[in-house]
Amino acid sequence: MFSSDGFLSDKFSNKGPGQTHIFTSFPNSAVDPDDDSSLDNKSNNDQLYGYNPSNTEQLPLPATVNNTKNEQLNIWQIEYYQKYFQIDTQQILERLVASITPRPNKSYFNSTIRQNPDLYGPFWVCITFIVTVAIGGNILTYFRTPDTEFQIDFSKITLSALLICFYWWLMPTCIYFFFRWHLQRIEYIFIELLCIYGYSLTIFIPVSILWMIPITWLQWLLTILSSLISGSVLIVAFWPTVNSDPKRFNAISMLIILFAHLVMAISIMLVFFHISDTNMNEKKESIMISSTKSKV
Amino acid sequence: MDTSMEQDQVPFLSSSSHGIDMIEGEMSSSSNRTNQNGLSTLDEPVIDTIKRDLGAVFRKFGYAVIPRHSSTLLQQWDLWGPLILVTTLAILLQSSATKSSTGVQFAEVFTLMLIGSIAVTVNSQLLGGKISFFQSVCVLGYCLLPLLLSAFINNILLYIPTKSTIPILHIIRFLIVMTAFAWTMYASVRFLGQTQHPNRRMLVLYPIFLFYFLIAWLIILHAHPK
Repeated sequence: MFSSDGFLSDKFSNKGPGQTHIFTSFPNSAVDPDDDSSLDNKSNNDQLYGYNPSNTEQLPLPATVNNTKNEQLNIWQIEYYQKYFQIDTQQILERLVASITPRPNKSYFNSTIRQNPDLYGPFWVCITFIVTVAIGGNILTYFRTPDTEFQIDFSKITLSALLICFYWWLMPTCIYFFFRWHLQRIEYIFIELLCIYGYSLTIFIPVSILWMIPITWLQWLLTILSSLISGSVLIVAFWPTVNSDPKRFNAISMLIILFAHLVMAISIMLVFFHISDTNMNEKKESIMISSTKSKV
Repeated sequence: MDTSMEQDQVPFLSSSSHGIDMIEGEMSSSSNRTNQNGLSTLDEPVIDTIKRDLGAVFRKFGYAVIPRHSSTLLQQWDLWGPLILVTTLAILLQSSATKSSTGVQFAEVFTLMLIGSIAVTVNSQLLGGKISFFQSVCVLGYCLLPLLLSAFINNILLYIPTKSTIPILHIIRFLIVMTAFAWTMYASVRFLGQTQHPNRRMLVLYPIFLFYFLIAWLIILHAHPK
């Protein structure tokens, strides 16, 4: 009787003289989300959660598969950004693993990100990196200063947030413009570049936890290793495009990308986690002074 | 509602051609809440309003602390509880020796929690969750109660003088705050985890984890100035 989308629809059963109306589809608000017996009603479940599945069996379909109407969405509406969040847990995990294992033959970019660039992964990888760097830096100073003088340094959070977000946006912008002017074609849309760079920061999250170990050579070793690994993932992602161009800037541009990555890692390590020798000497002196005072 | 159309048994669309009759009756809409005396809530004494609203807030605290299956927290959301909790937590986390920078520290913690809950809520909406903005902020705020209690205990424990070579007090404080963190996560997962499709549940729960993790570490690292 009504529309088939979510309200009443009658089925007349032929029992008896009166009409029996059987309601077969409910408005979405009436379904109890905690009702486990509705497992067989999976499509209703999907609609309830506003779930737009991205096809995992075949190539993911473009954004027209979701059920919002084709209206003009402006950037102030949240639905405009929903098309960058059509992703499942499984896919995110695959992309995270692929971004820390560089494989020279297969560009993971082409097989995973290109069809469905998402903003969830890069954004939350960056936020996690910011949080671990800020907390790790604070823990390191906590163990190094005496108890009476330690205060939480909130500026570490803002500083790390600025640095990391700046890097995450700056490099894709540079690469985008480089490809546009120099190679004069648009190989990668901006979102894909953001995606690649965001996922490349994944390896720094466990590294930033390991950076808390106050052994200097270990910190340097971790820095160089991790920036090499994630840099090589970046290079593998960009190499097919750059290699097909006969101009001679290929190797130089790849080296520049790697170098920028290294610089970023080194600067974060130095600003937040570094123990310089002068600090160690000061600590020894303060311990000696306090012990001599207690003797007197 | 008694109308003068009761002799019209025909459906509305095919009404006969007598003109538009006057329809009269009483309308009582449910939005105009009345208590038993028949007064509207604008006319009741202030103490009644305060008692009722405070009762609602405390009831929601109860739901947040002992997570039961109830829709009260989601459907009758209010922001008083989160405001009280976040303000108290920001006051407890102040540790500056000088008076002038306490205001800045309070603002930092408060802003951090505000931005954190906004980010988590927007993330859950972008992933297609069927929860409104204020409902989510309400739930995130109310579930902070165990962390607030652990911050109280933390502050009290910091007054115990201890030799710095024996870290037993640090370990106790760490364990208490981590227990409170686990409790908070459990409570908010009970409420917010149900609003998402199962394939994306972890994607929504991870930012909540990160948010409470950050707050838990702020509490652990908090130290008194002597």
